Amino acid sequence: MTEQKTQHEHIVQPEMQLDARAVKLNIFSKFLHTLGIYGIAGLFVIFGIVLQVFGVINGFLSVQNMLNIVDAVALLGIVAVGMAFVTYSGHYADLSAPTTMALTGIVCVQMLRYGFLPAILISLAVGISVGLLNAVAIGKFKANPIIWTLAVSYVTLGVIRLVWVNKQIYPDVMASSQRASDLFDAIYRLRFFGKIALPVIILIILIIIYTLLMTRTQFGAQLKITGAARKAAKFSGINVERIIGAAFLVSAVSAAIGGLVVTSLSRVGAWYNGAGYDFRAVTAIVIGGMTLAGGRGSIIGVVGGVLIIGLMNNIMTLLGIGTFSQDMIRGAIFIIVVGVSAKSLRSLGRDDA
Amino acid sequence: MLNTTVLEMTKVSKAFPGTLAVDNVDFSVEVGEIHALCGENGAGKSTLMKIIAGSYNDYTGHVYISGKEVDLHTPSKSKSFGIEMIYQELSLAYPLSIAENVLAGRMPMKSRKKNGKGLFIDKDKMVRETRRCLKMVGLDHLDPMLPIEDISQHEGQLVEIAKALGNNPCVLVMDEPTSALSREDVKRLFTIMRNLKNRGISIIYISHHLPEIFEVADRITVLRDGKKIATREKADITSEELVQMMIGHSVNEFYSHADHSINEIRLSVDNLTRNGFFHKVSFQARKGEVLGLGGLSGAGRSELARVLCGLDSRDSGTVQIDGKEVKIRNMGQALRKGIAYLTENRKTEGLALRLNLGENILAGIIPQLTRTGIYNSRRGFGILSKLVKELSIYPPDPLRIVNNLSGGNQQKVLLAKWMASEPKVLILDEPTRGVDIGAKMIIHQSIERLAQEGHTILLISSDLPELVALSNRILIMRQGHIIREMQKSECTEESVLLAANGEGV
Repeated sequence: MTEQKTQHEHIVQPEMQLDARAVKLNIFSKFLHTLGIYGIAGLFVIFGIVLQVFGVINGFLSVQNMLNIVDAVALLGIVAVGMAFVTYSGHYADLSAPTTMALTGIVCVQMLRYGFLPAILISLAVGISVGLLNAVAIGKFKANPIIWTLAVSYVTLGVIRLVWVNKQIYPDVMASSQRASDLFDAIYRLRFFGKIALPVIILIILIIIYTLLMTRTQFGAQLKITGAARKAAKFSGINVERIIGAAFLVSAVSAAIGGLVVTSLSRVGAWYNGAGYDFRAVTAIVIGGMTLAGGRGSIIGVVGGVLIIGLMNNIMTLLGIGTFSQDMIRGAIFIIVVGVSAKSLRSLGRDDA
Repeated sequence: MLNTTVLEMTKVSKAFPGTLAVDNVDFSVEVGEIHALCGENGAGKSTLMKIIAGSYNDYTGHVYISGKEVDLHTPSKSKSFGIEMIYQELSLAYPLSIAENVLAGRMPMKSRKKNGKGLFIDKDKMVRETRRCLKMVGLDHLDPMLPIEDISQHEGQLVEIAKALGNNPCVLVMDEPTSALSREDVKRLFTIMRNLKNRGISIIYISHHLPEIFEVADRITVLRDGKKIATREKADITSEELVQMMIGHSVNEFYSHADHSINEIRLSVDNLTRNGFFHKVSFQARKGEVLGLGGLSGAGRSELARVLCGLDSRDSGTVQIDGKEVKIRNMGQALRKGIAYLTENRKTEGLALRLNLGENILAGIIPQLTRTGIYNSRRGFGILSKLVKELSIYPPDPLRIVNNLSGGNQQKVLLAKWMASEPKVLILDEPTRGVDIGAKMIIHQSIERLAQEGHTILLISSDLPELVALSNRILIMRQGHIIREMQKSECTEESVLLAANGEGV
């Protein structure tokens, strides 16, 4: 028996003749696998410096500009790290995020008449309730995530425009006191040590909480399996309905917080606040290495994706590229990244497609 | 002599990350022969066939078709040389009609000119052409406009063959075509295969079922670890020799016959019913017992298992564990009450193929590894390394992606997942389907060890030698009822098979 066993082990352990890295990968995915997303961010910084050295752009390499970049993407980061849970769960994206942002913001401005804190709490609750709706429909009733969240975003938009009769409302007008209005303004403008903005602090706190949630809790571990193979997760005794629902809730929490920030930034509660943040967030998520197939990637990676978008925007703006051209370039990059990552994962045998 | 060889491959190799899946293989197929390809899972059979089908553009070596050297770098190229594949899993589009499936990619179009391409589908011609293809597989009684979802699995298999025959192939590759078929259906399939052979079509036949290979094949080629071991005429080889070539050492005894001691009752099922699937099913299983569930496919065995572990709801009846009634509504509850279910669909329901070995094995016990809200997979490391060793899972690397393991090792990972949860009752549904002999042996040893440790095993298996050898008792199900209980002493392959068909007393 022992002899048989050793012989058997010999059979099932053919000598490794090839290293796993012998697979052909194109240059871009090689960078992704060896340097990681922050390597690419580094490349962008170097690119910016080169442009400055050759005098093509001015003022890229300054402390103020670097802070500008972080400032500019903190809001996107807040939304993206939450939506990442939806992508991670294998449900692509939460398209209701922009209108959740708008709703939270406009409700908060409206409620400022009852004081700052009550307004914040009520509006966050309203924003998160949109997530609850998504959670039930997509988790429990298996609605298609793209179609459902798209529909929810239109319904929410309709509700906002109906209730506020297509009007914009202003915090300084709505607030019960100057103090409440000032506090609301400060959400975006408060700076610690005179430099680091409150949204950046909020983003850092969210990164820490979400990373722990994704990697160190029962929810995170079960979410990974659910995202990678929903049926297998169900057959492993995982309550997939609740797990998927929770992912949409996290996304709504982030979108609601983002809604407060964006509304404080524009100093106006309006239906169009947050528009465009759905696609921008998905782009950051995908560039950050979280594939649309689910179960793969990390919050830190997504933050890297957000940073790259920030660097890209900054350089493009310094180069004087127009907004429309910037949108086009971002869209093209999204397509390239999705294509390249799907291809390299397949050639590595990491994908079942 | 030379011109009777339709397909010849010399010194063919194909590498994957970490392995050389096909290693310098010579292989040839004669006109009008059925050539069986044998080997354990991971021996390289499927990879070799995929090379023939044109799935890879980076294999090395030479391929000759009818004496001319060709390169098979794309599937369409292989098809143009008359090579057709029939895969293990049916590749039919279920909502579409038989005709649309059979003629996929070559729909006849209406046109004024002869053989011209028009804009619209010529429906009459489509039906006629489909009838012609179906006739070759003895399905001419079927309406070509019937959707695939309305025909049986066996008929689906034949439709797939008809689809391949429609392209006038010279070589037909069949990968485990019988794994989901009943005995009668297999017989009919073999008759069709012999007819094709007489018409000069060559068939490459991949199977794990040795009796089937001996029944239908003319020549047999054995692969092991990506290398070719031998090609023999059927008459020149015995099944013992064949098994020996496949696994590399002689197997004296596939199964041991351990005598399980019989203890107190663990699982008691009383009048359990799910309307339309099984009715008033009652039985008891003891601690340390392997209770076999025999029967033909569709007898209600898997459906019973799914109700027991809460995947489907029941209509009436009770289930008791250790004398206490349990009401189970989902798999999570089942696990907490001590019932685990190893599904028969490894790839879709069993494993998260994109995740690694460790994540899969620990998937069912995440709550147990979570303390004060913090999940730490390192707490499962002890269990993990013990199970990987016990089941000799190869490679023993917890970070290896499961998709890159061989079928046998994937099945071991699936079993390990449920062994990790230490269930009181473990329901095994086809635990060794499509698995090589080495892995099968290890899985059988593990099942016996689990029983000796006091776990109760419900074993559902269509593999009769396995069912007979491992079970202490066998319950025979037929059309949703338990029709017979057989003690170990009465169980032989023949008696169980007769009972499953409703014959013999």
